[in-house]
Amino acid sequence: MLNFLWVIMIFAAVAAGLLMGRVKEISDALLASCGNAVNLSITMLGSMCLWSGLMRVAEKAGLVDGLARLLKGVFRFLFPGIPKGHPANGAIAMSLSADLLGLGNAATPLGIMAMKELSHVNGDAPRASNAMVMFAVVNAACIQLIPATVLIIRQQAGSSNPTSIMPAVWIASAVSLVSGIVAAKLMEKRRERL
Amino acid sequence: MDFLANLAIPAVILFIVLSAYLKGVPVFDTFIEGAKEGAKTAFEILPVMVGILAAVSMLNASGLFDVLTSLIKGPLALIGIPAEIIPILLIRPFSGSASLGLFTEQIKLYGADSYLGRTLSTIISSSETVLYTLAVYFGGTPVKDTRHAVAAALISSYAGMLTAIYICRIL
Repeated sequence: MLNFLWVIMIFAAVAAGLLMGRVKEISDALLASCGNAVNLSITMLGSMCLWSGLMRVAEKAGLVDGLARLLKGVFRFLFPGIPKGHPANGAIAMSLSADLLGLGNAATPLGIMAMKELSHVNGDAPRASNAMVMFAVVNAACIQLIPATVLIIRQQAGSSNPTSIMPAVWIASAVSLVSGIVAAKLMEKRRERL
Repeated sequence: MDFLANLAIPAVILFIVLSAYLKGVPVFDTFIEGAKEGAKTAFEILPVMVGILAAVSMLNASGLFDVLTSLIKGPLALIGIPAEIIPILLIRPFSGSASLGLFTEQIKLYGADSYLGRTLSTIISSSETVLYTLAVYFGGTPVKDTRHAVAAALISSYAGMLTAIYICRIL
């Protein structure tokens, strides 16, 4: 899917650029983006080290298993087929907790680690398992209780009540999460039959 | 509230380190062991980032989103989607920095407490940069075939964004 998307994105960009006479802008942006990608990766390198190190410590202390046991019911529904006591359970639990608490810097590294564990369960096959797809979708649905960045921007834009959007944010997030889970569940059944 | 938010990460770290130490885990050695793994993964993801950000930056610079906006403006107005919201709807799944930049501009233009301002805020808060997230998450694994991940994540994202547009009318 990413192979196809990538070609489409680049093709559409070049075609539109030619049409709109923005070819120079495209090549400038392209060069700048490589530097941006490295900057982002370096920033992430630090937080990846920090959080995967802490994750290992928490694992050894038995904390991760405890968290996984708390979330057992949710797991059996969303990610069936993960063996009991496998590190993937704990990794998913840590990552989703970080998401909910809005620990943005921690959530991505923990999510990547969890995905690696799920891949091990899948025998490191080149085809994603149902659990891996579900985990990716739940993460992309972005369950966030307090959207701090947006609240700050609203305040700066002169809002008299920046937090007035919160109920709407919760409802929209819930709809997004539920429809993602339903879509993933429906599609996994359809694809299995093929 | 601010204090509690700032306390969250240090408190989590202290809790992890302290409880591991009390259980006799060699905390620092264990930390380094895990951190090395993290460093390896981050390097594996760097090429993925370059590939995704390159394609996204080309799309942003090409002006394609302007063309698409004027094309779908008419049909979307029929189902109650204001034209001013369309650029964010198009850009949001592709680029986090571009959509946040556009949002900051637009909210000043339309006013933070207007219907458009509240809708844009809700859209940005309840959706994620889907393509980037998927690429990075799968980037650390040997997966080549992501199956229905992109489709399901996009469905989830647009369901959330459409809800935001309609719910802000009422709330």
